[in-house]
Amino acid sequence: MPADMHTRIRDYASRSGEIIREDPGVREAVTGATIAFDQKRLQGYSEVDADGWRRWAEGVKSHTLTHLDRYLAGAETQLEANGAEVHWAADAAEAREIVMSLAARHSVKSVVKGKSMVTEEIDLNPALEAAGIEVYETDLGEYILQLLDEPPSHILGPAIHKSLQQVQELFTDRLGSEPGGDPDTLARAARRVLRDAFIQSDMGITGGNFLVAETGTVALIENEGNIRLTTSLPRVHVAVVGIEKLLPRMADLSGFLQLTARAATGQPIGCFVSLIQGPAAHPDDDGPEAVHVVLVDNGRTDVLAHEHAWEALRCLRCGACLNACPVYRQTGGHAYGYVYSGPIGSVLDPGLLGLHEAMPLPFASSLCGACEDACPVRIPIPEMLLEWRREAQEEGLTPWKERAALKGLASVATRPGLYRLAGKIGSRLGATGVARALPMLGEWAADRALPQPSRRTFRELWREGIE
Amino acid sequence: MRVALFVTCLADHYFAEAAADAVRLLRHLGCEVLFPADQTCCGQPAYNAGRTREAARMAKHTMEVFADSDAVVLPSGSCATMVKKFYPRLVAGGADAAAPAAVADRTSAAAELADRTFDLAEFIVHRLGVTELGNGLAGRRVAVHQGCHALRELRLETEPAVLLEGAGAEVVPWEAQEECCGFGGLFSVKMTAVSAAMADRKLDTLPEVDWVVSGDGGCVLHLDGRNRARGTGIEFVHLATALWRGVAGDAR
Amino acid sequence: MSAASRERIMARVARATASRAGVPHPGALATPAADDAVDAFVKRFTSSGGEVAKADPGRPPGEWLTGFLRKLEPQVTGVAVAPDVPPELRPGLPEVAAAQAGAGVSLAWGAAADTGSLILPSTGTRAVQLLPPAHVVWVPDGRVFARLEDALRELEAELPAAVGLHSGPSKSADIGRTVVTGVHGPGRCIAVLS
Repeated sequence: MPADMHTRIRDYASRSGEIIREDPGVREAVTGATIAFDQKRLQGYSEVDADGWRRWAEGVKSHTLTHLDRYLAGAETQLEANGAEVHWAADAAEAREIVMSLAARHSVKSVVKGKSMVTEEIDLNPALEAAGIEVYETDLGEYILQLLDEPPSHILGPAIHKSLQQVQELFTDRLGSEPGGDPDTLARAARRVLRDAFIQSDMGITGGNFLVAETGTVALIENEGNIRLTTSLPRVHVAVVGIEKLLPRMADLSGFLQLTARAATGQPIGCFVSLIQGPAAHPDDDGPEAVHVVLVDNGRTDVLAHEHAWEALRCLRCGACLNACPVYRQTGGHAYGYVYSGPIGSVLDPGLLGLHEAMPLPFASSLCGACEDACPVRIPIPEMLLEWRREAQEEGLTPWKERAALKGLASVATRPGLYRLAGKIGSRLGATGVARALPMLGEWAADRALPQPSRRTFRELWREGIE
Repeated sequence: MRVALFVTCLADHYFAEAAADAVRLLRHLGCEVLFPADQTCCGQPAYNAGRTREAARMAKHTMEVFADSDAVVLPSGSCATMVKKFYPRLVAGGADAAAPAAVADRTSAAAELADRTFDLAEFIVHRLGVTELGNGLAGRRVAVHQGCHALRELRLETEPAVLLEGAGAEVVPWEAQEECCGFGGLFSVKMTAVSAAMADRKLDTLPEVDWVVSGDGGCVLHLDGRNRARGTGIEFVHLATALWRGVAGDAR
Repeated sequence: MSAASRERIMARVARATASRAGVPHPGALATPAADDAVDAFVKRFTSSGGEVAKADPGRPPGEWLTGFLRKLEPQVTGVAVAPDVPPELRPGLPEVAAAQAGAGVSLAWGAAADTGSLILPSTGTRAVQLLPPAHVVWVPDGRVFARLEDALRELEAELPAAVGLHSGPSKSADIGRTVVTGVHGPGRCIAVLS
C-alpha cells in the first residue's frame, strides 16, 4: 500500500466535502452517470428472474469460496495442461515483481492494458514505466485518466466524473484534436493512437472477471473490443487475477456472464467476451505464444478468514452498488482514497488493508440498503458495515466523544426516570441550548438549521390528556 | 384493539404534536391507546454506531417495557425496523452467548415482539385493514419521503401513499422519491458534507407540492434543517399529522 | 518465490475454508430456452446493434457475399478471410492483411440465442475478427443454440486456445455518456444466416 494511502482514506470526511464544494461538476457528472447506469440495471434485471439468478449466483460464489483450495488447485492444473504458466503472488510487491520479470524474460518494450482493478490495486503501471516500458491503457475511459494521471473513480466507468468538455480540452491539448470535437471524433482520435499500440506492443496485460477451474479459462467481459485485442495481438498475454475470481465449471460461466452484464449496464451480455485457455497452439491461431496467469492474494486470504467479511469476496466488480449508492453519487470514487470505493469498497477495504488503515470507510454510509438490493451476488453490505463498525468500536478506533455520548445515551435510556428528566430539560433549553449540551450537533449546524424541540414533550401532552 | 404506543425519543422530543396526532388517529380508528411510561430509546443510535453492548442494554429495557402489550405501534419506520429486524439479530449475540438457554429465551422473546410491532402506516393498512380515510385532504398535493429502513428493510413501499390518497390527497411523483435523504443518524454528523449534499438532491428534485410527508422524524429533522438553512421554504409534515389533518377535516 | 507463495496462499486458503461450513453448489441456473432459437438470436443480436443478413439461396454463397460486401458503406475492396472459411463461402474479392481490410470474414463455431452471441474460435484467426471496421460472420445451419450455457457445454469438449463471444459492434460511452461505435473492435458486426 503506498505510503499516502492511509492518509487519503483517513481524510474521507474532509475530502468528500472538498470535492462537493470545490468541484461541483464531479457531483453532477457522477450523479447523472450512476443514475443512468442504475436505471439500465433495473431494466436489465426486470427482463429476467433477477431474484432467482441472484440467489443462484450467491450460492455458486459461496460454494466456490468455501471450497476455494480445491478450485485453485484445479485451475492451476488445467491452465498448465493448456500450456499457460501460473504464478502466485502473496502481495502487491510480489505481483509487480512477477510481471516485471515476465516483461524482462520476454524482452518487452511496450505494453497494452485492458481495464483491470487488480492492476490498479497492485500499482503496476508506475513499476512498468520505471523500467522504461511504455504502457498504454486501452479502455477509452482508462486512457483518458492515464493522460490526466488520475486513478479511476468507478469500477466500470473509470472517467464518469469527467465532462465532455474536459475530455475535449484534454484531447486538444494532448492529441492535437480539433477543439470541441463530438464524442465520436474524440473516440476516433484515441483509436488511432491505440490501434498502433495494439499492433506494436509485445505484451498485453489484463485482469480477469472469472477463472473457470474445470477448464482453466480466464473470462473477460468488455464492450470496446480492446480486451480482445490486448489478449490477441501481442506475443505475450499476462492475466492478473485475484484468487477469489474462481468459478467451478464452464456451465456456471454462462449465468455469470449474463448476470454481470445485467447488473453493470443492463446488457444481456458484454459486446465482447474473451475466453482464454492458454497460448496459441493451432497453426491458424494468430494469438499470443505465451499466456501467464498471476494469482494474487494481497489481503484476500485475510478477508476469507474473517467471520463476516468473507462474503464480500463474492463481488463481481460490476459497479451496481456504486451506481445505486446515494453517498457515492455525491463525490465519485476519489473521495474514498482507495481503488475499491463506494459501498463494496467500504466493506472490502477494511478486510484487504486492515480495519485501522481503512477507517472511517465503514462509517461512510447512511445504511440505506440500496446497495444490497442492487448486488447481483446479494452481499449483505449494510450488515457488514455494521460488523466493521462493531470491530472499530471494540478496537477503540472511533472518537472518544462519540463513544462517551453513546454510553451516556444507554445509561440514560435504561433509567426511565433520568430519561424523562433529560427530555424535559431539553424541551426547556430550546434548539441552541440542546446544541450546546450535545457537542456533536455543532457539526450538524454547519450545513443545517438546528432542529426545534417541541415546546412540550409527548409525555407531557399525554399526561395532560390528548383530545 | 389495544395498542401500545412506542413514541420513540425523536417523536417524544421533536414531534410531540405528531405523536399526539398518531394517538388521535388510532383512537379514531377504534383503538384503545396505551402509553407505557417507562419506555425510552430503542437503541438504534448505538446499534448503528456499532456499540452493540449499549444497544443490547436498551433493547433489553424496551423488551421488558413492552412485554405485555398486545400490539406495539411506532410513528417511525426506522425505530420500528430496529425492533422488528435488528433486535432479533442483536440479542442472538452478546456477552452470554455461551449460555445457549438464555440466548434462546431472548431470541424467542425478540422474535415474538417483532411479530406484534408495527410502523404506524403498516399497522393501519395491514393490521386494521384501513385504507379509506375520507376526503379531508382533497386538493392537497403532497410528496412522500419514505425512510430507507421502512422502504428496504420492512418493504413498506406504498403504504404511506395509499393512506394519503385514501384521505383524498394527490401524491405527486418525485424523481428522487426512493433515494436516501442523507440522515443516517450518526452519519449526518460524521460525514456532514455528503449528508447535506444528499439532502440537496432530494430538495432540488422536489416537485411543486403543498407538503412533503414522511413517517420518519429523523429524515424530516434533517431535510427540514437543510431546507431552512437554504431558505427553500418547503413545509414538512409527519405522516401522522397529515393523516389526522385529513380525518379531522382540518387540511390547513 | 512464487512457489513459496503458492504454498503460503494455499495453506491460508485451506485454513480459512476449513473453519467454515461448506456451501453446496446450487446446480444449474434455470433460464428459459426459446422455441425458435434462430428467431430469438436475430431479435437479441439486432437489439444489441448487431446486423443480420440472409444469404440468397438462389445464388452460390461466395458470389452472394461478394455482392453483399460491395454494397457495404464504405465499399469494401480488400477483405481478410479466416483460413477456416471453406472455399464456397469465400468472397471473390482481393484478400489483404486484416489491418488493411475493409471487412473481415469469419466462420462461427455457433451462436447463442439468449445472449445474441456469435461464438468465434481463435483458430479462425483473431486479427480477422477484430481489426477490420466490419466483421461478417457465417453462422452454419443448425448451429444456433437456444442458450449460451448449452453452447458452452458442447464447446467445452473441443476448446481452442481462445474463444471470442461477439454480441454486437464495439462500443463505448466513456466520453460524455454518449454511445459511440467502432471504438477499438469492428463498428459493424454482421451475422450471415443461410
